[in-house]
Amino acid sequence: MKKRTLIVFAAALAIGAGCLVTPLAAQRGTPYRGPRTPDGHPDLSGIWQAFSTANWDLEDHSPSPPQVYQMGARGATPGGQSVVEGGDIPYKPAALETRKKNFANRLALDPEVKCYMPGIPRATYMPFPFQILQTPTHVLMAYEFASSDRVVNMGKPVEAAVDTWMGTANGRWDGETLVVDNTGFNDMTWFDRAGNFHSDALHVVERFTLTDADHIQYEATIEDPQTFTRPWKISMPLYRRVEKNIRLTDFKCVEYSEELLYGDLRKKPSK
Amino acid sequence: MSRRILKVASLLMVMTLAALIARHTALGQAAKAPAPAPPPAKTSASAPASPKPWVAPKTAWGDPDLQGWFSNLSENGTPLERPDQFAGRKLEDIKGEELLAIKAAAQQRTVESFAGPLHAPEDWWQKDLNMVKGTQAWLVVDPPDGKIPPITAEARARTAARNEARRGHGPADSWEDRSLYDRCITRGLPGSMMPVIYGNSYQILQTKTYVAIRYEMIHETRIIPLDGGPHASPKVRTYMGDPRGHWDGDTLVVETTNFRDEEAFRNADGATLKLTERFTRVGPKTVKWAVTVEDPHTWTKPWTFAMPLTMDDTQPVLEYACHEGNLGLRDILLGARAEEKKAAEAAAAKTSK
Repeated sequence: MKKRTLIVFAAALAIGAGCLVTPLAAQRGTPYRGPRTPDGHPDLSGIWQAFSTANWDLEDHSPSPPQVYQMGARGATPGGQSVVEGGDIPYKPAALETRKKNFANRLALDPEVKCYMPGIPRATYMPFPFQILQTPTHVLMAYEFASSDRVVNMGKPVEAAVDTWMGTANGRWDGETLVVDNTGFNDMTWFDRAGNFHSDALHVVERFTLTDADHIQYEATIEDPQTFTRPWKISMPLYRRVEKNIRLTDFKCVEYSEELLYGDLRKKPSK
Repeated sequence: MSRRILKVASLLMVMTLAALIARHTALGQAAKAPAPAPPPAKTSASAPASPKPWVAPKTAWGDPDLQGWFSNLSENGTPLERPDQFAGRKLEDIKGEELLAIKAAAQQRTVESFAGPLHAPEDWWQKDLNMVKGTQAWLVVDPPDGKIPPITAEARARTAARNEARRGHGPADSWEDRSLYDRCITRGLPGSMMPVIYGNSYQILQTKTYVAIRYEMIHETRIIPLDGGPHASPKVRTYMGDPRGHWDGDTLVVETTNFRDEEAFRNADGATLKLTERFTRVGPKTVKWAVTVEDPHTWTKPWTFAMPLTMDDTQPVLEYACHEGNLGLRDILLGARAEEKKAAEAAAAKTSK
């Protein structure tokens, strides 16, 4: 009898403690604490991919037909939800006009069609995987699309030497989050297939936070006073590609764009 | 601003083409027209006092540490095979003043090959070209005679078939008549590891489970898994191949297979070619790199070539937007079409006379 009382009491205590502890932790939003690298930082290494319609259009959009009818359903755009906080991108009026023109001519103008390096943040949510490798001094992000890559400098911040497609990346740890500050971009990349664009004044601050073993919450704050009225933010989860045999496979798309880029200069058969 | 970068990039592209030509020319000339060999250098009488023994650095998890930025610029122009002028001699015996003279001559030839009305500014790469620091008179270390073993009958037939397929094509009827390098697609393997006159920066990054090698030229990244997993399916074939690495003592061994035929080294069979690279840190600034080339469908036996990679913190890998700025390829095609038009007009003028 006495023993049973003790057991019941202990069980009640355990339940009580459980009620107290679990919700409190959840309320406080205790960040996920995953495996560490040898130097003690969160280990983001792995092969990751975004699964959203962001590369088609960052904003809310309806499904739409292919631009080249031969592509049929395969070339159609799936509809999807905006990844932009607040829904819309805060364009300046003139920039919004440019965006509309870009959209109208997107097949001719989208740098993705020509297999150009996608820039940041677009590289992150192209429909291709990318791989993160972490060392104490550098974080390598290698993208399958167009063999593009970038190395985030984790040492003393460096200034961008020149403007480039993939920018110059300086990183730091903010608790469980990898923060990457990107500058030094050219004005030739787009954010998506819908003509969303920027100038060479682009500044992107990204945040990579593991929310469990197989998900990263990705955020990018985009600042470009020449194009937008204020900074704006996109966010989306990145999913670990958990397949046992997953590897990046070279996607050297240059050769898929050459007929388009140089076809007018092919020798015509002599008559 | 951005347009200027585009222009610079296209100029660089033109230089790339020129560099390729120079490299091939340098290789050919080294074999054909050797400079007279000066007598071997006398060995220095006073050997330097033996310094503290150098210990190869390790990563936090205990693997040999190969990480950093590299350049192999000074090995530019070194012929793959032993030039005939050195017949009967050993690679390690060609050193000192004799080696210096060969390297100085190679440097001069490279610079001279760019003389002419059309070239990039003269201080773009010339002042950085430093072939005199080159450490080898040739690259093949096995077989010991420095010559690539004979190719098989099958390889001869394959090369003949590829040449036959190209017959009737001009040098620039379309982009497909240009090399994958001209087209900014890839330099393949071992091409990506071989020096050219500029853009020779490499970066090695390591984790416990991967080694990554970044190449500035054509911006490629090789990610080499160390997990002992099997190679990809034979159905998956890529220009850079499918690498698998492991540590053999202090040496990183990388075996690469699954090549595409178009860029398989020296017309090998991409399906059966295997390259085994060995990376060994042999000094504070030096990683020895050796490659064993195997393909029973192409060579009668395996062979190996080697060169040192030199660590150089002043040469970080920068973004080389090769394809994005490839006006050079457009211009080559434009030039070829313009010449055809001119020839056609001249022919028409002749018949109308």
